Amino acid sequence: MAKGFANLVEPFFLLAICSSSLVELSQSLLHLKQFVFSLHALSDEEWNRFSSIWQEGEAKRKTILTAKGETEKTLYFVTEGVQRAYYLTADDKEATIVFTYPFSFSGIADSFLTQTPSNYFFETLTQSTFLKTTHAQVAELLDQFPNLERFVSRATAHALKGALQRQVELQTYSAEKKFTTLLTRSPQVLRLIPHKYLASYLGIDAATFSKLLSTVRI
Amino acid sequence: MKDYNQETLLKELQNQTELILEKAISNWQLVPHSKFALKPSAETWSANECLQHLNSYGRYYLPAIEESLKKATSNSSANHFSSGWLGNYFTKLMLPDTNGLASKKMKAPKDHQPKQILESHLVLTEFIDQQEKLLQLLQMAKQVDLNKSKIGISIAPFIKLKLGDVFMFLVAHLARHTNQAERALENAGLERGKMLMPLFSKVA
Repeated sequence: MAKGFANLVEPFFLLAICSSSLVELSQSLLHLKQFVFSLHALSDEEWNRFSSIWQEGEAKRKTILTAKGETEKTLYFVTEGVQRAYYLTADDKEATIVFTYPFSFSGIADSFLTQTPSNYFFETLTQSTFLKTTHAQVAELLDQFPNLERFVSRATAHALKGALQRQVELQTYSAEKKFTTLLTRSPQVLRLIPHKYLASYLGIDAATFSKLLSTVRI
Repeated sequence: MKDYNQETLLKELQNQTELILEKAISNWQLVPHSKFALKPSAETWSANECLQHLNSYGRYYLPAIEESLKKATSNSSANHFSSGWLGNYFTKLMLPDTNGLASKKMKAPKDHQPKQILESHLVLTEFIDQQEKLLQLLQMAKQVDLNKSKIGISIAPFIKLKLGDVFMFLVAHLARHTNQAERALENAGLERGKMLMPLFSKVA
């Protein structure tokens, strides 16, 4: 009697183990769906096809995923951790130009969209996990589904809007205003990211950043 | 001497370094200089001094390790690393005793004693840079035989240690003094694992 029962239980047990990683994948895809639909609604068929091209991936802290000169073949959707894109100057100084963290797309966007060599480095700043897909797979879907192409348009316009706003802030805001704007938008960054990267991103030198940190705190 | 599986060893060293780096980023970055540089007593180091001490070791060893890794000609990583007796001795010296407390008190070598009070954010920035570097070097070392490469010790460069021993010593030394820094911060009124940031209490 007990043996018969065990035979019934075992397959469910095995299924539970296999499905835990499936659960992770489906949770990540849920976040992806939420993000996509917040910009543009897709039909069931479009979403089914779009969600089928993603795989899970991860990388350790300070892993360079794309180097300057390489063409970005991968689109990332971040589920854990912080990443940055940076520009390397002629005298080897790094200028951090964007941070990405959950839940959003990542990678070198302009290189991906134009399929031309990247001007920037893309690296993880902490242990990171993400969904990833290839340009070839995305391009195939965009050819088939005009509505997906529309989504990509919207997402790109959104990114452009952000880039212009940031340009305004960099050119017109005082160091203090840049600092408080960043921290109001993303208060968690002070604890997640080494401050040197934040200072670089804001175009503030380390000493000023440190001073601002101590004055803003109560 | 003691034998280690190379891959497991490097992974473990990476994990330990990662934990310490995490602590520095999420806690220590937000501690004001006045607390970070507070000495628990005239004879004990502040957290700032602990990190200055660690930084002075990193300044010597990290470039030496990087140089050594670049020169390593063997592309085959070893399966096993055998600790040399001197390296093993140094590492053991750094580790806490069975009660988890620091073993015998030692005076730091003259070259590695903090000489002046530096701004804590500068010290911490260098510290964070060094741990990021160490993690990268530990990753690179996976392709190399830890038994073969040799590095001179900072206070007597003619005395050579195996690369594996240098890594082990560095991380044990790191753990010892970061624990010491934590105690100094507790003494300065900080709760372990918490940081002073009431204004930005909405954290991820």
